[in-house]
Amino acid sequence: MLDPFQLPFVQRGLLELLILSIPAGLLGTWIVLRGLAFFSHAVGTAAFPGLVLADGLGFAAPLGAFGAAVAFSAGTAVVARRRPGDQDSLTAMVLVGCLAIGVILASDVFRSGSNVETLLFGSLLLIDGRDIALAAAAAAASLGAAVLFGRRWLAAGFDPTAAKSVGAGAPYLQIALLGLIALATTAALSVIGALLVAALFVVPSATARLWTSRMLSWQISSVVLVAVEGTAGLWLSVKTNAPPGATIATLSGAVFALAAAARAMPRPGRRTCLSAAVAAVAFLVAGCSSVASNDSGKLQVVATTTQIGDFVREVGGNAVAVDQILQPNTDPHEYEPRPSDIEGAAGAKLVFANGDDLDAWIDQVVSESGSEARIVDLGAAVPVKLPGESSGAEASRYDAHWWHDPRNAEAAVEEIRRALIEAEPSNAAEFRRNADAYLGKLRALDRGIAKCMDSVPATQRKLVTDHDAFGYFAKRYGITVVGAVIPSQTTQAQPSAKDVSDLVNLIEREGVTAVFPESSVSPKLAETIAHETGASSDHTLYGDTLGSKDSSGATYLQMEAANADAMVQGFSGGKRSCSIHGIG
Amino acid sequence: MNRAAASHEVDGGPLIRATSDRDVLAEAAGLTVGYGGVAAIENVSFRVRRGERIALLGPNGGGKTTLLRSITGEADRISGSLRVSASWATVPQTERSRLDYPVSALDVAVMGSLASLPWWRQPGRRERAAALQALERVGMVKLAGATFGELSAGQRQRVLIARGLVQDAGLLLLDEPFTGLDASSSDRLETLIGALATEERGILIATHDLEQARRWDLVVCLNRRQIAFGPPGEVLNLAVLEATYGGAIVAIPDSGGLGILPPHHHHQS
Repeated sequence: MLDPFQLPFVQRGLLELLILSIPAGLLGTWIVLRGLAFFSHAVGTAAFPGLVLADGLGFAAPLGAFGAAVAFSAGTAVVARRRPGDQDSLTAMVLVGCLAIGVILASDVFRSGSNVETLLFGSLLLIDGRDIALAAAAAAASLGAAVLFGRRWLAAGFDPTAAKSVGAGAPYLQIALLGLIALATTAALSVIGALLVAALFVVPSATARLWTSRMLSWQISSVVLVAVEGTAGLWLSVKTNAPPGATIATLSGAVFALAAAARAMPRPGRRTCLSAAVAAVAFLVAGCSSVASNDSGKLQVVATTTQIGDFVREVGGNAVAVDQILQPNTDPHEYEPRPSDIEGAAGAKLVFANGDDLDAWIDQVVSESGSEARIVDLGAAVPVKLPGESSGAEASRYDAHWWHDPRNAEAAVEEIRRALIEAEPSNAAEFRRNADAYLGKLRALDRGIAKCMDSVPATQRKLVTDHDAFGYFAKRYGITVVGAVIPSQTTQAQPSAKDVSDLVNLIEREGVTAVFPESSVSPKLAETIAHETGASSDHTLYGDTLGSKDSSGATYLQMEAANADAMVQGFSGGKRSCSIHGIG
Repeated sequence: MNRAAASHEVDGGPLIRATSDRDVLAEAAGLTVGYGGVAAIENVSFRVRRGERIALLGPNGGGKTTLLRSITGEADRISGSLRVSASWATVPQTERSRLDYPVSALDVAVMGSLASLPWWRQPGRRERAAALQALERVGMVKLAGATFGELSAGQRQRVLIARGLVQDAGLLLLDEPFTGLDASSSDRLETLIGALATEERGILIATHDLEQARRWDLVVCLNRRQIAFGPPGEVLNLAVLEATYGGAIVAIPDSGGLGILPPHHHHQS
């Protein structure tokens, strides 16, 4: 029953949650009472430009987030003083400003390609000492301020007119409240992410408000409720292998709905309603079987991306249990760890990573799991390397999409073979046999694609894709990359109007016949540009991830063959196609 | 602060003489106030002394609340002068938001003590005792533990007055305090206001009820400008009332009094 809490990374998440319950519960009551729910949601999101700056200039992310949140709070307070009015509209105005600055900084100044979702993301499963220290600081500050300013906040909220005459109208009081909310939500960013901050800061307090009629009892029950919902949500997320932030948010929403419904019920009906709810929860809990690993006896390894998972399964065969973190059709630029990823890493002997910043989060997942696993950076072992994006402090040296050159895949497979043999010499013969068979198919793939491409005149091999993922493929097979809809190697960047119009002109000038959308990215932009230029957009490429099991790109070999086929059809206007033998 | 106000001749109003009278709690001379630079009431001149109960009489929208707000600093002074030389406390109309607050009557009364405490000090035993004493004074001590939002309208008015007493305000600003009160609550509030005046406090009572206005020491008649200021017996004549209420005045036969025709003939509660 309590087994999830024996995992060290869950214990750390629990500690962080229990500390955060103090600022969340305490400030939550003020947020609800003073109508600051939207502000508390916005201030987390408004941290975006601060995070972009921290990312671009290379200083600590919480510092950037807190700086931006404080600037946002001060901005709202100043605007509110100048133009008294509805707090929510003012908050929205300042928020839009912050987001716009963030997008411009990200897209045009640092070209970091980071977007709101990825930077404002957090996970209870990846808590480090800095997060806990920040939460503790927020807890201490909230506790101190609640004792010191609580009476005055109450008086000012109760009667804003009289606030000045009773000594509760001083600007520092409002600034202290907004500043504290900024500090506490920033501390919660790394835990639950900006989008779900309300699950800790608003919903539990609003729930506790339903059954309390005094400030003190409200604050105490609100803190307790955050702690209980957080603990239950974390437990449930480990049991169901769901992301913890979303689980806690769902749970706190459900508790609020139940409490509100129970309150609206006539007294005799309440008992029935409550027992029904308890029964429903018990049923839910009983239904959540724990994630059990049944691969005992096999060598446990972790693979980050779908293509690496495929390589490792090919080489490892039946002797290896592969825990593959990214699932087909998910974009590696958008990843949120699940409890099983960290449990998997904890039991693994080897972790195979893509490297070149595509899966930089794996280091944190491994260190969080307390695992002794060796991380094998396959990107460092491949022979062909193309330069990565040049600007931004975080830009990688090399383009991370190295697997699109089959010769690189061969080197990766050899590296995997070496690592597996080293980890389990008793199975060396099987690993060698598997690897040799697979390497043969990779060579056949390389030859096959080259042959297909030769059937298209070199002048027609002009590639326009969603994002710059096919540099290696293009270089290997003599294809000219004319441009990309998203002018960046990450899928997270946004093209500007000028980028789009430049690309349209380029496509027309170069006589490009097809624009290729990618399977894991929304095809909308590619379709728009194709429509604009009269090019076709019917042929989808597999860029960053394999397709699902029954798709034409379920394995690495199929994916590259499908890409070759799509390109040949696109380049030739559908006159030619490409099928490759010796890889099935 | 010792600046003597110059004499002003105000249309329809009495002459305000320059004064350094220590009994004056607030004094307006040729005061025009409004919001965002747009005048809501013009040319107001009156004076509140210790122990005076002054009615602000006028129709809805006539500027009574704006005048109170000019004292609390919520409305902007556009021209003229306003001198407030006493601490003030408001007894606002009860809004819904206040009814939702998780506070007891005692909590509200204790809020009055915050003004005299430095920012790091919290109300303690002494402040609670003072709050209970104030609640005793307004006859609310038995309900000190009750949730503010669950009290009756009259009880809430008295709790807010208790807050002003804890604050020890020299000037009490009551905005339509009798609205929604039953007869016995009204009598009780009236007696309380009388008692507070004998303690040398000045009391401003906004009202649209002519009969109410007659019971206080002085009356300021307002209809977007000051129509008259003086004792009710002197200023509440037909001409002033017509100017205040815009012609909806009738002489009540047999009583020798005047009545106001309520707009749209709705029932006044």
